Amino acid sequence: MRFFLFVAIFIVCSVSLACNSEEKVSQLEVVVPPGVTVPEGMVYIPAGDFIMGHRDDSRTLLGKTIHTEAFLIDRFEMSREKYASFKTDYFFDRSKGDFPVINITYASAEAYCRSSGGRLPTEAEWEKAARGIDDRKWPWRNFYQHPNNGFSGFLPEPVNKRSEWISPYGVYGMGHNVWEWIADDYLYPGQARAERGKFKVIRGGLTQTHTSVKFTPVYFRNWMEPTASYPFLGFRCARSIE
Amino acid sequence: MKFDRRSFLKAFSTLGLALLPGKSHAIPDYRNDKNFPKEYVQNRDRPGFFIRSANPFLGVEIDNWGLVVGGKVEKPLAFGYEDLFGFKMHSQTSRLKCVECWSAKAKWEGFQFADLVERVKPHPSAKYVNLKSADSYYESFLLEELLRPRVLFVLQMNGSPLSKDHGYPLRLIAPFKYGYKNIKYITQIEFTDSRSRNYWANHGPYSVDGTIQPGIDHPLDYRKKPLPINGGEVFHPFDKRPDEG
Repeated sequence: MRFFLFVAIFIVCSVSLACNSEEKVSQLEVVVPPGVTVPEGMVYIPAGDFIMGHRDDSRTLLGKTIHTEAFLIDRFEMSREKYASFKTDYFFDRSKGDFPVINITYASAEAYCRSSGGRLPTEAEWEKAARGIDDRKWPWRNFYQHPNNGFSGFLPEPVNKRSEWISPYGVYGMGHNVWEWIADDYLYPGQARAERGKFKVIRGGLTQTHTSVKFTPVYFRNWMEPTASYPFLGFRCARSIE
Repeated sequence: MKFDRRSFLKAFSTLGLALLPGKSHAIPDYRNDKNFPKEYVQNRDRPGFFIRSANPFLGVEIDNWGLVVGGKVEKPLAFGYEDLFGFKMHSQTSRLKCVECWSAKAKWEGFQFADLVERVKPHPSAKYVNLKSADSYYESFLLEELLRPRVLFVLQMNGSPLSKDHGYPLRLIAPFKYGYKNIKYITQIEFTDSRSRNYWANHGPYSVDGTIQPGIDHPLDYRKKPLPINGGEVFHPFDKRPDEG
């Protein structure tokens, strides 16, 4: 009898954990070294190893352990209002100033980051900030269905809305909301020569079927011509530690 | 004085869009009626290129058709079918990607929106464009989107005038938008300073924006096998990109 009670409680707890997308994401303890100043709106990611890619995805690093130096990365995707303060002719709906900036080419994204003393993140930096130091598939660790309502079409949200979907370093918007420009070219083993150097990597958005919307795993690599600008594509900045 | 259809359209354009006759009231609505006449355009899974139509439609009678361009512009204009061939023609091969997950490829020929914009001279406040069709359909776009070089107002498909199924006499091809944004049988182009909703946002689960999202495509010319797409205009590994000639 006790055994069945235990099993019942276990099942109830498991189901409630799996279904509760609002549970808090466990955060890694990070100590910022003396002499390093973390600007407002950025997160310090310490130097060290992490697992990059997935063994079943041949266009990734297959789950290899990669080292990064310490770096800073924006906690949120770049907002429309913030970007418009840099590029005053950027046209957007004023009621959506805290939504992610969209319709931005790679060059425009890079220009913004450089103007603020930063740069676009590398793929390794982006993936580490998204997954931390374990081999999790989702920044928030557990799998959830995206809570779309069957509506087919991109639904951007305010960049600071989803505190239940943050990464273990407290970074928002990695795996949902807009895709983000990455500094690296899109390259992979066996790639056709004509394709090499033609595309930039974009990371962390949604994929869609007819009437469903899905999160993308932390290691999922998408690609885009650098001159493209689309309403599902934005960016965030990173910065090296001097 | 000769007063033919073209003269009427030109005179009409000076009056602006407000006096446009409501063509839609004359279109029989068969959306909830399976017993529509066989000669009507309807949804058909034709090999190579599926046909989709929001409302079964008899097609355009060219003598009754005209294109009116107005709204927030300096110079409203109207065009007959033959007038449209006065624009510089551009051709491209691109896919039409449906939200139903299939895509199909064709060679399209038509004019660029920039050439029309140059003629009608929109006001600076005109950030949006509404398009209406002869079959009661309507769409809306950012002006900037229609000015992209791969967007065509199409008169010909695969070397022949558009067929009734594909939107004769004039349709839009915006390859980075889902098929439902690629409006057929266009009769009216209106420049506005505020965004309107489109037909499928009002009648179904599809977004006003309609930009093709990253996901999976099932190209009809690849036996509908699933292939990943990265978002925006669809190019598969066996498709030529514009810079490849």
